Amino acid sequence: MKVRFWGVRGSVPVPGRHTNRYGGNTSCVEVRPRGDWPIIIDAGTGIRRLGKSMMESAFGDGGGTAHVLISHTHWDHIQGLPFFSPFYQEGNHVHVFARQRHDTHLQAVFASQTEDPYFPVPLSSLKAEIEFHELVEGAHFELGRARVTCTRLNHPWIAMAYRVDADGGSMVYCSDTAPFSDVLLEHEFISTPPQVGGVLDPAIAAKLASMRAGLVAMCQGVDLLIYDTQFTPDEYRARPHWGHSTPIDAIQVAREAGIKTLCLYHHAPSRSDEQQDLILRETQDLCRAAGDPFEVIAAYEGLEVVLGDDG
Amino acid sequence: MRLHVWGVRGSIPAPGPETNRYGGNTSCVAIQTAAGELIIIDMGTGLLGLGNSLLPGDFGKGKGHATILLSHAHWDHIQGLGFFVPVFIPGNHFTLFGHAKSSSMLEGILEGQMNPNFSPLYTLRNLGATFDVRAVIPGEPFEASGVRITGRPNPHGSTTALAFRVEEGDRSFVYASDVGYEDGGPSPEMLELYRGASVLLHDCTYTPEHQEKRRNRGFSSYVDAADAATRAAVGHLVMFHYDQDYADADVDALRDACRAELDARGGAGIGLTAAAEGLELEI
Ligand SMILES: [Zn+2]
Ligand SMILES: [Zn+2]
Ligand SMILES: [Zn+2]
Repeated sequence: MKVRFWGVRGSVPVPGRHTNRYGGNTSCVEVRPRGDWPIIIDAGTGIRRLGKSMMESAFGDGGGTAHVLISHTHWDHIQGLPFFSPFYQEGNHVHVFARQRHDTHLQAVFASQTEDPYFPVPLSSLKAEIEFHELVEGAHFELGRARVTCTRLNHPWIAMAYRVDADGGSMVYCSDTAPFSDVLLEHEFISTPPQVGGVLDPAIAAKLASMRAGLVAMCQGVDLLIYDTQFTPDEYRARPHWGHSTPIDAIQVAREAGIKTLCLYHHAPSRSDEQQDLILRETQDLCRAAGDPFEVIAAYEGLEVVLGDDG
Repeated sequence: MRLHVWGVRGSIPAPGPETNRYGGNTSCVAIQTAAGELIIIDMGTGLLGLGNSLLPGDFGKGKGHATILLSHAHWDHIQGLGFFVPVFIPGNHFTLFGHAKSSSMLEGILEGQMNPNFSPLYTLRNLGATFDVRAVIPGEPFEASGVRITGRPNPHGSTTALAFRVEEGDRSFVYASDVGYEDGGPSPEMLELYRGASVLLHDCTYTPEHQEKRRNRGFSSYVDAADAATRAAVGHLVMFHYDQDYADADVDALRDACRAELDARGGAGIGLTAAAEGLELEI
């Protein structure tokens, strides 16, 4: 299977010369098992160009089926959806997967994104057939030749990580998440930053530990681990409650899970290409010095990684 | 008055080397009055750059205040709010004027964007800055930031978008983005709002060919912009809100075509600028 990055940025799209190389579009990754329909993970602004490229294939004539896995519904992970061209072609089928909520149906959350007064084309008027699938943690299912599993992360309003296995290759998409050490992020709004390294209530510590164990287990032996590394250690210390990790947190999960390639992802909007180069180099140096067996790369728009026996 | 342009794009931010010159951020401009007051018009992602530029001044100390004029609540006009650094600094104050049946409905629209399904901010009340949200009465002038402002709705697809006229002394600036006129162009009331403006910033999303294919979306072509500018006898026209698929070379061509259109309509004396991020224009 092939993994291609269409948007690598967190929080908000950042156009400009300083992001030309890594790209300014928000989160979107295409996973394509050999000869099969695409599995799209997250629908930030990167999905606009992906959608256009898909219209050159069967989707242009309304004969396509796409699966979209949403980590969570924060804007930077869904804001490209109304600009996804296959939606506007009759005959296409799009299946959208995201975590089940207790309070609202997924369909209602997505519908409100395109309703008056926010967007001129309501979901109900789109020509493609759109189906919503609500997931619970630990769910596993087949999409064509691919096998998908998911587990929850430590992020405000809760995000899901996904693992996709196909063609003898495997990948995990882990964004957005805070490390599992200083604060439990669920539904409550946390206004003041908790103390990093402070002592946690044992019940909360246990919940975080089991969440992390679930993630490490899901990542076991994968070829590619894509990980939210929006923060530097200093930024994390100032904002542990914002729900993002540092490269060091990603390295620790990568080590424990015995993965092959770690991919830094969900870059901070304020990060210039030069700063991101530096973060990549520092992370690579750290892993080299520690003798880690995995490779470290940083996601950029247009990057394609081939996994398993594809190509 | 001085105009600062922070975001020129319509619909969705368009990052990439092909938009480096005009910029890929969505709609946001600022007016600095002669007295030094700040008026922000629309809150697309261009608002991020404006926010950062304000931090060395009063807004960095929590002593800033500004007027925000909101044309309408489509995403590309509000999506910068949660990333506008001055809103996180307690003490800053914003008075926001927009279009809704009531002020509380307008506040509800802004809250919808901050809803925890979509944003880690949960609600406007979690921002450090305070907001005074007010619905504009169409056609009725009001005072804000020491200048006279009038808002009137233009047709915009299935909805409307406010155009604003900002007047200070004998100078006037009109913001008219996101407008798809009925056949015959601007209504008499809108022409009155634009009339004789020192600078008219106008929706210029499309070429006429592209507009023809996307009529229902409610955007202007450069022909509509040139027509409005000449009929209202404005001093200067600023093109704005380019389609997300237009590369810099496409916008260059749009500007050349707009110049020719102005000249052909007897508007050879009207100055023309294609808005780009970073543009500053003395009004
Ligand atoms: Zn995110
Ligand atoms: Zn998030
Ligand atoms: Zn717009």
